[in-house]
Amino acid sequence: MAHVALKNVTKRFGSVTVIPPLDLEIEEGEFIVLVGPSGCGKTTTLRMLAGLETATSGEISIAGQEVTHARPGERDCAMVFQNYALYPHMTVRDNIGYAMRVHGTDKATIDTRVNDAATLLGLVPLLDRKPKNLSGGQRQRVAIGRALVRQPQVFLFDEPLSNLDAKLRVEMRTEIKLLQRRLGTTTVYVTHDQVEAMTMADRVVVMNAGRIEQAADPITLYEHPANRFVANFIGSPAMNFLTARIENGAARFGDQSLALTEEDARRLGDRGEVIFGIRPEHMREAEQAAALTFMPDAVEPLGPHTLVIGRVGDTKLTAQVDPRFGVTPGTMCTVQVDMTQAHFFDPESEARL
Amino acid sequence: MAQTAGRGDSIKHAFIGPAFLVVLVVTLFPLIYALVISFQAIRLVPPLPPRFVGFGNYAEILSSARFWGSMWTTSVIVFISVAFQYVIGFALALALHHNVAGASLYRVTFLLPMFLAPVCVALIARMVFHPYLGPVNDAMGMLGAGNIPFLTEPNLAIAVLITIEIWQWTPFVALLMLAGLQSLPGEVFEAAKVDNIPAWRRFRDITFPMLLPLSVAVVFIRLIEGFKVIDTVFVLTGGGPGTATETLTLFAYNEGFKKFNLGMTSALSFTFLIVVIVFGTLYLAAAQRVTRRYA
Repeated sequence: MAHVALKNVTKRFGSVTVIPPLDLEIEEGEFIVLVGPSGCGKTTTLRMLAGLETATSGEISIAGQEVTHARPGERDCAMVFQNYALYPHMTVRDNIGYAMRVHGTDKATIDTRVNDAATLLGLVPLLDRKPKNLSGGQRQRVAIGRALVRQPQVFLFDEPLSNLDAKLRVEMRTEIKLLQRRLGTTTVYVTHDQVEAMTMADRVVVMNAGRIEQAADPITLYEHPANRFVANFIGSPAMNFLTARIENGAARFGDQSLALTEEDARRLGDRGEVIFGIRPEHMREAEQAAALTFMPDAVEPLGPHTLVIGRVGDTKLTAQVDPRFGVTPGTMCTVQVDMTQAHFFDPESEARL
Repeated sequence: MAQTAGRGDSIKHAFIGPAFLVVLVVTLFPLIYALVISFQAIRLVPPLPPRFVGFGNYAEILSSARFWGSMWTTSVIVFISVAFQYVIGFALALALHHNVAGASLYRVTFLLPMFLAPVCVALIARMVFHPYLGPVNDAMGMLGAGNIPFLTEPNLAIAVLITIEIWQWTPFVALLMLAGLQSLPGEVFEAAKVDNIPAWRRFRDITFPMLLPLSVAVVFIRLIEGFKVIDTVFVLTGGGPGTATETLTLFAYNEGFKKFNLGMTSALSFTFLIVVIVFGTLYLAAAQRVTRRYA
């Protein structure tokens, strides 16, 4: 049985439906990341789990307990907020131990747990400082410490790394992931950053307009996106989409024709218009490669590889090429496309074909 | 070289001159003038020429039972009323902040007393607490305890004055505390809710300490303002019966505008200033000790 389950959960603010019926099951010990663009309902979903928002309808259960209408405190969740939400007038030690103190845990246990958490998170030298004397990364570590001493059923993270600088974000990403592995606590983590989602999650839930577009492990999301939205959202730089016609085992756009792999050709048949998707990094030499000619507009050397931004007809296209690949903006160039990595989507439903 | 520097200096002084003159005329002169007068015996009606008496006026004030009486009256009114204003005002602010039913209606009506002129408030109170015509005594009469001399029995009169102060100035406290509450970071309280901290502990351990600096300021403002109370007392009891409800400012007013004893009045004003400064400093020192624990 799922450790955390949302069944048919909806959320309306006034007449605005933020979450249409949503179903999600999370296994015990799983690290789930909810990811999506701003306003996709990921934070609302997390807040409904925490009890900070009440579901308009549907059922939420945590560890076998039905908690749909339970107060936040009754759900045994611990939450880490984007703005840390530390108690500004308490020292680090008091911040971490406060909830235990209120709940009457004996002093020795509090001290042990606070010290364990501080050791784990490298906060020992900071225990007697106030939050205002800490850096952003240290504050977020205190917030994490405060969550983990509670030994809750579920950890909830609401964009915890968004206020940190890029370098620190990468470090904390790893720390949180390792910590979760070690504690084995079920974790729901919200972010708008797809790299964060991919690197941390056991399973990524891609959300859009309150719906779950796809919930799968990172590699499946990358290799087999369920629809055009997921394909576009996951991966950086984003996948290229070209409107094509499938005729005689080849994808045709304009006067160009790219031969499909046998398997794709069999599966797709002759079906007229489709959306052909190819990631910039899959424009490379391969066994089943096809040549694609386009007009480069700009070249962006990144070191390990170079991005060529151009057009096929009126459609924008990005190709990731070898740094030594000769290309001049304004002069047509040809790249190889690895057809085993091509994706096809229905132009109407945008679902994967 | 030294000459040019000297000339530069004099220009500097010339520029400061006008501002200094304005400050001198507008602020310092009246203060110094009043201070000088406070060392003189001077009366307007019947006219008595100024005569230097040194600390004579101050000595007379400090040995006057009436002064110590007014000091006691003022302190009782201020400390009791400000304590109630703070507690009730904070409670109202909390209720409004948590959007109790009809909060938007309360928000306006709670503020009304503050907008009234104190003289009007005192006039209203005089009617409300009138021994024969007032509704309070009507109600008391129905409970079998009619005709309580609210304004003529010293302790009751002070109680009425305290009530009026509370009624009029609680909204001010509520308004400022509400602004303070609304400026607190919401996520901190959400974090506490998720951590299952009961509402009472959230208030005691989080809201109250976080609003402590504001509370100190609000109470300070009310203390200083409270010490100046005169209008309500003037209208309601005129300081009577006898001088039982006479406050410091009313005492000074009576000296100045009934006896026209200007030297004494000036000395009283400065004594009053010293009293307020002493109380203010003691209060701030005490408050700082408390807030430092949370800073």
